[in-house]
Formats: sequence, C-alpha cells, structure tokens
Amino acid sequence: MSADVRQTGVSGVDAPAESIHPRSPAPPHHRARRLAITVAVLVILLAATVLGSAAVGQFPLTVAEILASIGRRLGLVSPDESARFADGALWNVRFPRIILGIIVGAALGIAGTLMQGMFGNPLAEPGVIGVSAGCAVGACSAIVFNITWLGEATVPVAAFVFGLLTTFAVYFLSRSTGRTQILTLVLTGIAINAVANALIALCVFLADTASREQIVFWQLGSLNGASWVAVGATLPFLVLGTVGALYSARKLDLLALGERQARHLGVNVERLRIIAIICVAILTSAAVAYAGIIAFVGLIIPHLLRLIVGPSHRVLIPASALGGALLISLADVLSRTLVPFADLPIGMFTALVGGPVFFLLMRRSLRSGSGLA
Amino acid sequence: MASVVPIETDVTPELPVTLTDINGTSVTVTDVSRIIALDLYGTLAQTVVGLGLGDNLVGRGSTNTMESMADLPVVTHDGHQLNGEAILALEPTIVLTDTSIGPREVQDQLRDSGVTVVFFEPQRTMDSVAEQITAVAEALGVEEAGVELADRSVAEIAQATADIAAMAPADAADKLRVAFLYVRGNGSVFFVLGEGSGADDLISSLGAVDIAAEAGIAGTKPANSEALLALNPDLVLVMSSGLESTGGLEGLLNRPGMSDTIAGQNRRVVDMNDGQILSFGPTTGAILRSLADAVYAPAELRP
Repeated sequence: MSADVRQTGVSGVDAPAESIHPRSPAPPHHRARRLAITVAVLVILLAATVLGSAAVGQFPLTVAEILASIGRRLGLVSPDESARFADGALWNVRFPRIILGIIVGAALGIAGTLMQGMFGNPLAEPGVIGVSAGCAVGACSAIVFNITWLGEATVPVAAFVFGLLTTFAVYFLSRSTGRTQILTLVLTGIAINAVANALIALCVFLADTASREQIVFWQLGSLNGASWVAVGATLPFLVLGTVGALYSARKLDLLALGERQARHLGVNVERLRIIAIICVAILTSAAVAYAGIIAFVGLIIPHLLRLIVGPSHRVLIPASALGGALLISLADVLSRTLVPFADLPIGMFTALVGGPVFFLLMRRSLRSGSGLA
Repeated sequence: MASVVPIETDVTPELPVTLTDINGTSVTVTDVSRIIALDLYGTLAQTVVGLGLGDNLVGRGSTNTMESMADLPVVTHDGHQLNGEAILALEPTIVLTDTSIGPREVQDQLRDSGVTVVFFEPQRTMDSVAEQITAVAEALGVEEAGVELADRSVAEIAQATADIAAMAPADAADKLRVAFLYVRGNGSVFFVLGEGSGADDLISSLGAVDIAAEAGIAGTKPANSEALLALNPDLVLVMSSGLESTGGLEGLLNRPGMSDTIAGQNRRVVDMNDGQILSFGPTTGAILRSLADAVYAPAELRP
C-alpha cells in the first residue's frame, strides 16, 4: 500500500481509484509521452478551430480582410473607412464571442474534472447534477428583479451565489456513509434540477417580455451577444477557479485513494472539499452567467481525457480546460453559421453528444455494480 | 398583407439630426441611406415605408410581410435572436429598434460598430400611433412627412372607428365579448392578452369588450382551460401563423376549454397576420376596418 501511495504522491499519475480509473496504468514514461502528445494535439486543434472560427461567419470576409482588420487595430495598417462594418463585425461580434467560448469551455471542463474528483464519481458534472441550473436561477432572479447593485458583475455574482448554494446542497444531500454513490448522485441531480427549473419557470412567469426572452436563452445556452464586457467579467472567475483547481489537484489525487487514506496522508479532506465546491461554483457561474446552461461539456471532456492522459488531476485539469475550450469553440462555429441570420442554441450540440455518452457511462458503472447505492 | 401608401414618394431627409432616444441615449443621425427597422410588431418598418423611405430599407424582420419588402433579407429568426454579424453584413447606416426584440447585446454590438442605433417606445397602443410615427420621422430627418403620415393615420383610425360604431351594437349589454389569444404550436405557449398588451385597445376600438382586461388580467397570462371557461368569450382573435402553428381552427378548438366557450361552440375565431394585428402604426385604420368586417360579418356569411 505504501509503495502505491508513494508512487501516486510523487508521480501523480497512478491513483488507483476504482470508479474513475478506466484502465490499467501504463508505464510512467509512456504516460509522459502520451501526455505531451495529447496536450500538443489539443493546443493545435484549439488554435486551428479558433483561426477557422475567426475566418467564418455570417459577415462574409476573406482571410486577407481579417488580417487587415487586425493590422488596423494594432496600428500596422492605415485606417480604412470603407471597412468599418467589417471591423465592427470582427471586433464587436466575432472576436469577443470566440474568446468567451474559450473561457466558458475551459471553465466547464475544469468544473467537471473537479466535481468528478471531489465526488469520486465519473457522472458528476455541473449540468447533470443541477449546479448549472442553480446558477441560472441566480442569474434569472437578478434579471427579473432588475438587481444591478454590482453593475455588470451582478448577474455573474448572483449566479455564483446560487451555484455555491446548489453545489453544497448536492454535496450534502448525495452523500451517504461517507461516499457518494452514482445512483444517489444522479437522483439528487434530478431533484435539484427539478427545483431549479421550477424556480426558473417562476422567473419566466414574473418576467416582462424582454426578460423572458433573455431567460429562455438560459435553457439551451448560447454565445450570441458575447461582448468584451462579458469577457472581462468572466475571465477573473476562470483565473480564480483555475488557480484553486490546480492548488487542489494533488490532494484530489490522494482523495481518489479513499477518504481515510487521504486523511492519513495529511490531506484536510473537509477543507479540500470546500475549496473544490467553491471553485466549481466560481467556474460554473462564469460559464452560465453569459452563455446559459451548456450541459455535458464537463462530463464528456474530463472522461475522454482521463482515458488518454490518466487520472492525475495536475494533468487532467489543464487538459480538460483545453478540451472544453475546443468542444465549445467547435460547437459555436456550427451554431452561428449553420442557419443564415439565425443563431442555434449551442447547448443543443453538446447535449446531442453528451446525452448518449452519459447513458453509456451510467450503464457501464451500474453494470459493474461498483457505484450502486 | 396590405401595403402602406407612402405619404410622399420623393423625400429628402434633413440631416444631421440629434435626438435623445427612449432609453435616454443621445444619438446623432447623419445618414439614412441604408435603414433596418426591427421590432416584434413590424411597426417601425411600416412607418419607414409610410414616410416614403421604403427604398432605403436593406433588411426586414420576419413580421414585415408587406409586398414591397418581400425581396429584402429577413434578419430575425422567430421574431427574436438577432445575429449581429448578419445585420452588419447588410451595412446599415441606421437601425431603428425597440426592446421588443433582442438580445440587447446585439443592438449594443451594432452601436459599438459605428451603426446609429435609435430605440423607440416598445409599448403599442391606439393613442401612441401618432407619437411613434413622428418620433421615427424625427430620427430620419423627415419631420414634415411624419406630421402628414401621423395625421393621415389618426384620421383613418377615427374614420374606421366611426364606421365601426355603426356596425357594433349600441347597447353596452349587447356588445361582443372578445378575448385575444396568443398561441404558438401545441405546447404551453397559449396566453390570453390582457390590459396594457395592446389587445385591450384593439378590442375596444372594435366596439367590443375585452373580457380579459375586464376580468383584471394585466399583460400576458397563461390561458388555462378554466380561465378560458370563466372568460367565456363570444369571439376569439388570434394571429394567423399562430393559428396555423397550432393546427388551424380545429387545432385551436381542440385546446382544453376552448370548445366549451361560446366562441368555440359557434366557431367564431378571427385571425389576422402576425405582423399587422398589434402593430399600431400607419396601417391601423385599415386593420380595424378589415377586422370589423370579419368580426361583424352576418352569421350566414361566416365560413
């Protein structure tokens, strides 16, 4: 046991957690190479998606025109009055949207990883267990009751407060005998989602027409209307959440050994859980406040990457950030270009992929009998 | 859809104009050569056409079904969810809009991109027709045409109201009791429009009683079956594509509660184009007239 533990603590790649450990560990040097390749591939794919995303849109622009616009903004190319619509479309619509997509995707990817680590459960995800819906309740209330005492930050902060309450609620409600079972967690999620959706429905009922439109947009998520203000308001949340997540990464690896073992190794388990919960709430509220409920990103991405890079959180957290950003960026390109003059809800794409993945994961977990309460 | 007859065909806007829009933003209009007018009801675009600047429109909302605009690209989807890039691609110099359409961020994106964005009053009533028209005219630098169009629209409404008074029962007890139902599809989008929704104004201008407003319903409230039975309208007004989306007359009558109302039993449902019925603009006189013809059609002529 002690050898195992030491290896986990030192190399951080071989935490033998039954429920979130998909396959037998590869030798460390294989892991390292695979990790390097994975990160490189993710970075390249994300860069390619961002560049491709910048080049397509409902405002027709060539790559040369886009480069010229960037040049103008940097002062390298002389101003061109005839290109002011192109500049507007790029700098006020397309670019902030791409960046917000990256922030939202990264936040959801990390939040999913943290939740799975904290619950020791591969099905934990902000959307599935109701944290996103909880955040949306906060955001909707701020909109409907016209609360603005924090200026632009009001909606994200309200989302955060409600997200925090929801995450704590899920945590305490779904734990039995010191461990969160899959079935309990999923059922708790159903209950939390039901209550949250009822509160959202109440907000819709109380709302005037304009607020109602805005709330309807939470339900499936969308990056339409992204602005630099939104980017500025969400970026600090992402940074804060990421720092907290990386700080907890090693301790989460130890927690994967089991609560008692982690305690013996000097981990303050309660403190770790509280930090993780706060980080999840921070990250999810950043995503939900401006993009609505985009479910399943935090489910698919960490799970997929755990299969490739292994369960170590120090690796999984940054990788999931990249993966989440990639998934949202890809989905958003589709949502804003598929139908002319329209904007499809981005949550539609992630749910189309995420729904079946969720089902397969649950089937496998239930069949193996490991997580049944 | 009935077209608006322009008040003048050759207008020259006097620009620049500086004004404070309904949101309190100070706006200077310098160029109205490429106009997009976007609101949920289609009123603003109708007004632009009425002012004689219809040729300057470069895009339209899905509710602008007027023939003269048929060739313009539609920039709204479902009457909302504007797409900033798509609108900018039409290179508008000025966008006339209100808060009935959004998301608001898109209008802000347009403003940030150097497009002049002017917001107008989103509330539509019979009394606001003239005010709305003159406000749009002021923003486009055609104040004179605005006064003329407003006068003509108000006169048409007055004439229509006078004609309707001759058609409608004089005795208050005999007046037709009408409910305006907003319906989309077969799901839960089924509302009764009450006080302050514009429907109350429309119904009373038709010489009928808005039973929703009478029952104290303000704004938009879900039309559940018991509420419908309690209201028990003699006649129901709906929007045409809304009626179509719920499966036509049969679909509407199959809604819980509907078939037991007087309107349901007599199959008295009057529908009108979504972009017209609540627009309260330059076509309102004509709208009242054709609605009255349908509402007060002799029983033997009813379909």
